[in-house]
Amino acid sequence: MAKSLDQYFDDLRKTRVWRSIFRSGTGSSTLHRALAIQQNVFLHLFSTKVRTRLLGFSATWYLGTLTFGTFLILVATGIPLMFYYHPSVPQAYADTKDLQFVVSSGLFLRNLHRWSAHAMVFLVFAHMFKVFYRGAYRTPREFNWVIGVVLLLITLLLSYTGYLLPWDQLAFWAITVGSNIASAVPLIGNKIHFLLLGGNAVNANALLRFYVLHCMILPLTAMFFVAIHFWRIRKDGGLYAHSSEPATMRAKASETFSSRKSGETGGIEGNPGAQGVAREAR
Amino acid sequence: MADSKDFIAGVDSNAKKSPRRIVFITRRTSAQVKVETEDQIQTFPEVLFRAVVAIEVLAVVLVGISLMFNAPLEGLADPSHTPNPAKAPWYFLGLQEMLHYFPPVVAGVLVPGLVVMALIVIPYFKVNIEAEGLFLKDRARRLRIFYLVTALLSLFLIAFHVIVALVPTLVIALLMILASQSSPQSSTGFRRYLAARPLSYWVMTWFLFELVVLTAIGTFFRGPGWSWIWPWQGS
Amino acid sequence: MAEEKTSAEAGDLNRRQFFAKLGLSSLGIAAAGTAAFAYQYLEPNVLYEPSPIVDAGKPDRYPLDSVTLDVNNGIYIIHSQEGYFSLSAVCTHLGCLTAWKPELGIIACPCHGSKFLVHQEDAKKPGDKIEGPAPRPLPWKRIWLNDDGDLLVDRSTDVPAMARDSFVRV
Repeated sequence: MAKSLDQYFDDLRKTRVWRSIFRSGTGSSTLHRALAIQQNVFLHLFSTKVRTRLLGFSATWYLGTLTFGTFLILVATGIPLMFYYHPSVPQAYADTKDLQFVVSSGLFLRNLHRWSAHAMVFLVFAHMFKVFYRGAYRTPREFNWVIGVVLLLITLLLSYTGYLLPWDQLAFWAITVGSNIASAVPLIGNKIHFLLLGGNAVNANALLRFYVLHCMILPLTAMFFVAIHFWRIRKDGGLYAHSSEPATMRAKASETFSSRKSGETGGIEGNPGAQGVAREAR
Repeated sequence: MADSKDFIAGVDSNAKKSPRRIVFITRRTSAQVKVETEDQIQTFPEVLFRAVVAIEVLAVVLVGISLMFNAPLEGLADPSHTPNPAKAPWYFLGLQEMLHYFPPVVAGVLVPGLVVMALIVIPYFKVNIEAEGLFLKDRARRLRIFYLVTALLSLFLIAFHVIVALVPTLVIALLMILASQSSPQSSTGFRRYLAARPLSYWVMTWFLFELVVLTAIGTFFRGPGWSWIWPWQGS
Repeated sequence: MAEEKTSAEAGDLNRRQFFAKLGLSSLGIAAAGTAAFAYQYLEPNVLYEPSPIVDAGKPDRYPLDSVTLDVNNGIYIIHSQEGYFSLSAVCTHLGCLTAWKPELGIIACPCHGSKFLVHQEDAKKPGDKIEGPAPRPLPWKRIWLNDDGDLLVDRSTDVPAMARDSFVRV
């Protein structure tokens, strides 16, 4: 009897080589599903369980996930674009034109990179407003909100530094105006302007600095803060759920942990004698 | 805090030699940590698959747009020729609109700096933690403060001829007046909704509205020399 | 429940398996397509490299029995009894630029000591290896006269050694 494709995969998963790579094995038991997260170096940033109530679209509109998705698309399109782009003047403009007209799929990659960039800026603002209107910045999530504002600034800077790279009229004058605003900072404005551009005007030095900022420094910083941002979501108790977590829960917990006042906004659900953490969910 | 009658505690006179932990257990509850008993599900596969599908949908939409619309590319950068108008990327157009009215120190440094600082400190201020409707308590006094602040802000904007920022301010002010005339027992759902909004909601909504309006103005209503144009006039 | 089980055993798919297969196949097709387009993207369509055609100037720049190395273009122009011909100066071992040694009458590579003939010796032709790790002889490059009377060499085209058309006779 011939083996089906599924049976071949099952046999593959039983081999020693496979088990040496994927240590916890596969399966659909709760244990295996938890291990799939917990034993994975990339995924163990997340907790193995989340509250069901926050799974639906209406809770968050998935805006945070979508922002991260645009970031991934930008990295995936940006790195190939780097293969044909020389950050020198005026070669950069010729390379941008080459990407549009000569390189296979170059036009598509450039378009995708540009529109994803605009989408990311829009989504990160939308995410911020949604988090605010949900009230998800309240204790104990204050610091994660601050990390979020930092990420907003990094996103804007990434978009701004990337804007210069095509070296066309649009890029050149947008950055000239923007860097002149930076020089309006009192006292240190001119110094900032000089450091940012690597000179007194937007020229070859400026292009190279913006290139390094855009392709190396800012993406690494963004990934660093994104990791903290995701970690804090988990450590602060998961995504904010409106009625099961009053804003003052942590403050009250530092008083007596057995008091239970009526009229408390939300109120702590559960009853005395409830089971401990990590109850198996069906 | 429980009555002192509920328990007696004694401590060793030589507390330094024999340190102790003392637990006070009141009569009503037991010494157990309260935890949530909400339903939970596994991250894998539920959350991960939903995230993957959301990102896939996003990718499909963006790929579709990229196949249909080209990214803009103008002529080679020419330091000797400034295009007219020279517009910033769309997310900075709100800022550029403000630069039309205020000097760069104010519109370019002060206002964005204050906005960022205000955003950062939001969660640390009690006014943002309260979730009660603004005009449901202490109504008369709050209404007076509201009128004063709105009047001052409007006069300031009029003085600098920033009509584009004045209009959203007045719209929000009108909504707030409507909220002050509403209560949780109002006739329409909309008025009940407005009555329940706290101050933090109004400030943020005003900010959001200003952001949208200023960016829209900068995108569609500004032409050569940053002059006012109507979008249908073309440029 | 029992009916579902038996029909599954009979080789049918239930709805979950169908959608799983559909999803994975679509993902596979998308991945294959992405890989194909990615490979096409990485291969440049346009190169900004110099032309392989070298203008070596008038033939009388090269006296009889002379061996001239053009270092910028990596070719030798040699004027022998049979006429003008061109050898590649790039060592066939690992690509170093060889050198003409007039005191020894041979071409030698400084990197690993390969030595090549410049004149014919018995059965060996110019370009053949005397000694060293080079696996192949130095190739002959196509040489011809253009309308202005200049010698032109095409570095991208090899011609057979000692063939009649591999020489330019003036």
